[in-house]
Amino acid sequence: MLKRIKVDRDLCMACLNCVLACMDEHNKKGKSVYDLDLEDVSNGSRNHIELDKNKCPTPIICRHCEEPECVYTCMSGAMTKDKKSGLVLYDEEKCSSCFMCIMACPYGVLKADEVEKRVVLKCDMCGDREIPRCVESCTTGCLSIEEDE
Amino acid sequence: MRYVILGASAAGVNCAKTIRELDKDANITMVSKDKYIYSRCMLHHIIADKKNIEELNFVDKRFSENYKINWIKNTKVERLDINKKKVILDNGEGLEYDKLLIATGSSSFMPPVKNLREGKGIYGLRNIEDAIKIKEEAKNAKNVLVLGAGLVGIDTVVGLLEQNINITLVEMAKKILPMQLDERASLRYEKLFEANGVKIKKGVRAEEVLLDENSRVKGVKLNTGEVIDCEMIVVATGVRPNIDFIEESIIKINKGIVINNRCETNVEDIYAAGDVCGTGSIWPLAVKQGIVAGYNMAGIDRELEDYFGFRNSMNFLGLQTVSLGLIEAPDESYNVDIEEYRDAYKKIIHKDGIIYGAIIQGDISYCGVFTYLIKNKVKISHINKNIFEINYSDFFYINENGEYRYIV
Repeated sequence: MLKRIKVDRDLCMACLNCVLACMDEHNKKGKSVYDLDLEDVSNGSRNHIELDKNKCPTPIICRHCEEPECVYTCMSGAMTKDKKSGLVLYDEEKCSSCFMCIMACPYGVLKADEVEKRVVLKCDMCGDREIPRCVESCTTGCLSIEEDE
Repeated sequence: MRYVILGASAAGVNCAKTIRELDKDANITMVSKDKYIYSRCMLHHIIADKKNIEELNFVDKRFSENYKINWIKNTKVERLDINKKKVILDNGEGLEYDKLLIATGSSSFMPPVKNLREGKGIYGLRNIEDAIKIKEEAKNAKNVLVLGAGLVGIDTVVGLLEQNINITLVEMAKKILPMQLDERASLRYEKLFEANGVKIKKGVRAEEVLLDENSRVKGVKLNTGEVIDCEMIVVATGVRPNIDFIEESIIKINKGIVINNRCETNVEDIYAAGDVCGTGSIWPLAVKQGIVAGYNMAGIDRELEDYFGFRNSMNFLGLQTVSLGLIEAPDESYNVDIEEYRDAYKKIIHKDGIIYGAIIQGDISYCGVFTYLIKNKVKISHINKNIFEINYSDFFYINENGEYRYIV
């Protein structure tokens, strides 16, 4: 079963709940919101919100593309497309920090970690979690899960 | 169907994978002079002693087993017999094919400098064997000269910085990374390398390699008359395609093997992809050509949609830069916008609402949007905002199948 995050941009009100949720889930100090330190730049979000020319917000979230530019451009084998789950997976141990993937993602989803600039901040659909944390935390219905057989 | 793939790097491996995914019963043979599958873009990690050969592997360890590929390694191709549809290997063996991919890559080019091709202690950086030799040699040498300050030359310097050795970098152009960077972006790297002890000579040419009585390198004489002492030279002045087994009267060559948008050569059932096509291929283009060739070889029509080779990212000494398309405005009809903050320097070159080039240094976050805009010449004149703040929300659209797409 393929699982994807669906974005209904008109419902986004830039509350940043999805951004905080992503930081919560990937925080090395613990996953609770009480562990979240907003001044800790080493804990970055893998999604973000952008404003368009009319100042309307859109969450920028990895789509785990069918034809992923980040995978095609990865020369270390760190970025791979998993045929079974359909996810684009990132192995930070394999990563060579060349950042070709940041340059290649047409949707501007990727960036490097703020402190060491060694790894790429890449959506992992929250691993084994049934519903990704960003989707669970979205209060407007902008983010939802869609499943394809 | 019998598929033969010559080469086991970006293009060859991706072609083999693609064919297997499309044709479960395909008989796939991959022939390579390489004994390992490894990323040539990561050879500097070998020189620096930070990674080993296994860690340079860009596919699964069990790639050939998993994809059921008969991989003949450590073997070169002697010649092609296109009438019998046969590849003759250097061990005398013949391999018959129904479809053939040539993805044999390229080799370091040694420019015609006196003694450069004769002396001992002179290396290119293209194969794993080169990287290992450079690493070993660097342990016995005090001074090394790197000829050429393009991406390969700079990679070499980065690798050598981890060794205890004096490095001199010699570049013919007036700046380092001349193809990728403008003067200002280049200067920042120059200062970083100099702060790390690298001597940089710009705007000069190597005129002669000085050899000792055993033909070993002892120095390089520049066109200015200056002599630089060194016991080793790494030559990084470009590459030439590996086509010595091809008769030019049969397969059309122009700087490399000529292919169409389906990666077909002029000879039926022979395809080519990657560096061997000589079009200044970069990793992602080699991968895409390999995939497109794989589809067409397996009988499914597919065309190459990406020809954008003027893009590169670099990450040297903690400073990241992305270079896209033009690095300087060709004339005054182009607009050049520059933005600076903290550590960042960004420059965008545009004209009549189309972006033709960008240099993004220091903060490359989310910059892939500009790659797309430049590659596809997307009109941006209707987007009334600071050009540096243009992002995917200005083009956001979701297809019926759920995939993202650009809407203008």
